[in-house]
Amino acid sequence: MFSRRDFFKQGLLPVFAGSAVPSVFANGVAAAAADSPSATPSDRVLVLVQLAGGNDGLNTVIPFQDGAYHDARPTLRQDQGVLRLNAQLGLHPNLKGLKASWDAGQLAIVQGVGYPNPNLSHFASMSIWETASVQGGIGDGWLGRYLNYLDQVGESPNHALEGVSAGSLVPPELRSKTPVTALQSLKTFRLQPVSEHGTQVDVENPLMKFYGAFKSAGPAPFGALLDTTLQEALQASHALQATDASYQPKAPYPANSPIASSLKLVAETIVSGLGVRVAHVTLGGFDNHAREKAVHDKLLLDLDQALAAFMQDLQGHGLGDRVLVMTWSEFGRRVKENGSAGTDHGTAAPMFLLGAPVQGGLYGQQPSLTDLDNGNLKFGTDFRSVYASVLQDYLKAPAADLLGGNFEILPLLKA
Amino acid sequence: MEDAPTTTSSTARRPIWQRPVSRRAVLATGATGAAAAALAVLWKGNDLSQILNQVRDLTHGYQGALTSERVRMAHLLRRAGFGATRTELDHYVAMGQTAATEAILNYTKTSNAALESQLPTIDLGSSTPPTAAAIQSWWLQRMTLSARPLEEKMTLFWHGLLTSGLDKAGSAQLFTQNQLFRSMALGNFDELLKAVSKNPAMMVYLDTETNRKGKPNENYARELMELFTTGIGHYTEDDVRESARSFTGWTLQGGKQLRYATASQFVPRLHDAGAKTFMGKTGTFTGDDIVEMLVPLRATAVRLTTRLFGFFAYPNPDPEIVNHLADTFQKTHYNVGAVLREIFTIDAFYSDKAYRSLVKTPAELVAQTLKATGANAKTYTAAAVAMAPMGQVLFYPPNVAGWPGGTSWINSSTLLTRINFANAATQRGQGSLAAQSLGQLSDTLLDANVSPTTRDGLQSFEAAHPDDRTGLLFMVLATPEFQLN
Repeated sequence: MFSRRDFFKQGLLPVFAGSAVPSVFANGVAAAAADSPSATPSDRVLVLVQLAGGNDGLNTVIPFQDGAYHDARPTLRQDQGVLRLNAQLGLHPNLKGLKASWDAGQLAIVQGVGYPNPNLSHFASMSIWETASVQGGIGDGWLGRYLNYLDQVGESPNHALEGVSAGSLVPPELRSKTPVTALQSLKTFRLQPVSEHGTQVDVENPLMKFYGAFKSAGPAPFGALLDTTLQEALQASHALQATDASYQPKAPYPANSPIASSLKLVAETIVSGLGVRVAHVTLGGFDNHAREKAVHDKLLLDLDQALAAFMQDLQGHGLGDRVLVMTWSEFGRRVKENGSAGTDHGTAAPMFLLGAPVQGGLYGQQPSLTDLDNGNLKFGTDFRSVYASVLQDYLKAPAADLLGGNFEILPLLKA
Repeated sequence: MEDAPTTTSSTARRPIWQRPVSRRAVLATGATGAAAAALAVLWKGNDLSQILNQVRDLTHGYQGALTSERVRMAHLLRRAGFGATRTELDHYVAMGQTAATEAILNYTKTSNAALESQLPTIDLGSSTPPTAAAIQSWWLQRMTLSARPLEEKMTLFWHGLLTSGLDKAGSAQLFTQNQLFRSMALGNFDELLKAVSKNPAMMVYLDTETNRKGKPNENYARELMELFTTGIGHYTEDDVRESARSFTGWTLQGGKQLRYATASQFVPRLHDAGAKTFMGKTGTFTGDDIVEMLVPLRATAVRLTTRLFGFFAYPNPDPEIVNHLADTFQKTHYNVGAVLREIFTIDAFYSDKAYRSLVKTPAELVAQTLKATGANAKTYTAAAVAMAPMGQVLFYPPNVAGWPGGTSWINSSTLLTRINFANAATQRGQGSLAAQSLGQLSDTLLDANVSPTTRDGLQSFEAAHPDDRTGLLFMVLATPEFQLN
């Protein structure tokens, strides 16, 4: 491994070496499927939880002693039951699971995270976070670049399940030439059989031929896209079917909670030893311009309960040491609530890092609620500093290369 | 306070993703065969318009496909509608291209009575609103059976641009909005935007129903500019705030629950009648005034016509095409039908570059599949549900920007789902498939224009399973060719 990494650093390894050639990842799948979880304790998994729509940071990590907070939030302020972190700050009352993790030293909270010249568009700001570039745009995602790096240095099983997302879309932060699988259910991730008079007809091989021919016959880029996607899908489905489907959750996940279902699916993928390295789940609904309180309270409750079950499940499977959860949102919200008992788009907000690998505590500085920029918080910690810390200290990857710059490393993770 | 981060402008090393084989370097080698495969892998997941912009000169195996009159008509019906049955294709081919194009555009002259008589009744007068499944299957049935394909296609276009969703708005509100889009589908854009601004589904989805004098809410004001008109970069945060003030005063009508109200009203005392300064002009603006200032801007014309062309022809058109369409838009008082007439008649629409240059959206894939298999009421309900794992739920866009579209429709999960849907739909088919030969299926669904491998494979399948018309139709619908539009 070291030597390949060394080659890579000297620019000697061609980019396409070890990339997603089906025969290569077929081997990877077989190897990964053969591994039991305990056989690969060094495989670290990063689970990204996207809080889509712009989470209200001030009502998540609450400066409950700050008079300016109470003045700015006449209807939205949390007066009761704040879960105290220290004399000034507390977690939202519904974040009881996160508070327990905090007490156990397994929750790091980075305060006032943002970036220079904040963009108040959901989509522009999401793109900035996803690409780790303040220009945003359609480039590879920052974790897509990490997956790509794993391929290049030969440190990944190199198949379609090393990056997974729960849902029907591949999120932009996982985007690169390395395949990523959107998963909705492990059981249904397969080509359904076609039968004639009760006898199963082989359609897989003919379809493989059709798509293989379309690679060059079809219009670019779709010909090749469809071909490689079908190959990835069939390889991944074979791996999933070969896996012992014996996963039993070691914690009760809340019912009727999409975020809990997503995290349960991620847990199943990790526990099944499929070689997942990066997983992505989304909890949407944070764009609370009106009547925020009830909606936001429920979202944080769902988030907290789902995360608590997920962490307990992984710990029950003995995998707690190799999973790190990180939350992010495209921005926080305006300090002063609007006239609709909601909040408009804002800037800086806290991030959570959760799990046994974490060095618990507060990082960065809580932004001032009175020294504002057009009504919005001034950020103190660049989000890329958090990314860099995770890449370098947890994933052991070359953070400056992957982020295109040097950012301060925060001691968020245990050595 | 953390130290401000420093970037590595001083380091000579470039980030990994810019080293050693750049996209440009790959492009310079040309891209057929294996290189095309590398390209697709390289760009997988990226935005379609950006991809096609860079591969505009690439060739594919179907040069000249659109010189055939029948293929041109099938192409037009896929783009202006949701594909065609064999009967529909024959009907339009017999009309000739000019007359058929006019008929598709002037659809109000075509009776839709046959469809209307089959549709289930959506009752808005009841105390409980219709279910989401009811309005979803109702719309899917319209897409599949309408004699006015462009009417449904443009309704879908507006739903994807001027988004509202069931995550906030109610089903009766979205149904009413859907009828609004249908009734103004090819009209003037300023009139549509004014109507949408006061439409209850939009008012709930982007919070204008809470927007009051002294309590402005920025949600709609921002998205109106960022997503519906000029796009980012043409306004300031102050413009957002002043626009929000201008839109105050519209509220939902009646004392019903928030999600039930299907009418709105202007209440003068709730409107901020004070002076606002918007994009350099000062006045006591209303929401309509804001729309009238935004729609004439060239940025709006360019953005909307680019999106229309990308929806109907191919993404990222050359500037000459956009300029022509934007001129048409501005000269016709922002008439969308006039822009569509240009799109469906310029050479680019029938160029090699346009052929199979779009991924079938789940709505297109499902509607065209149901045209091929036949459907009953239950089928539409099940098919509307089956669209979810393909990434598209009608009346429920993922966020205010609508469906990202393009290559994002295709990943390992959605592709399996699309193929499995073809399997389920053919097994539950209602039509008289037995009458259809491979040649006829290929003609209707694949333009009789597939790779030699696919052609040979389908013929082999037919030879090996001569009684299995269901299996044969499945194979046709599962081809890579059918995934494209």
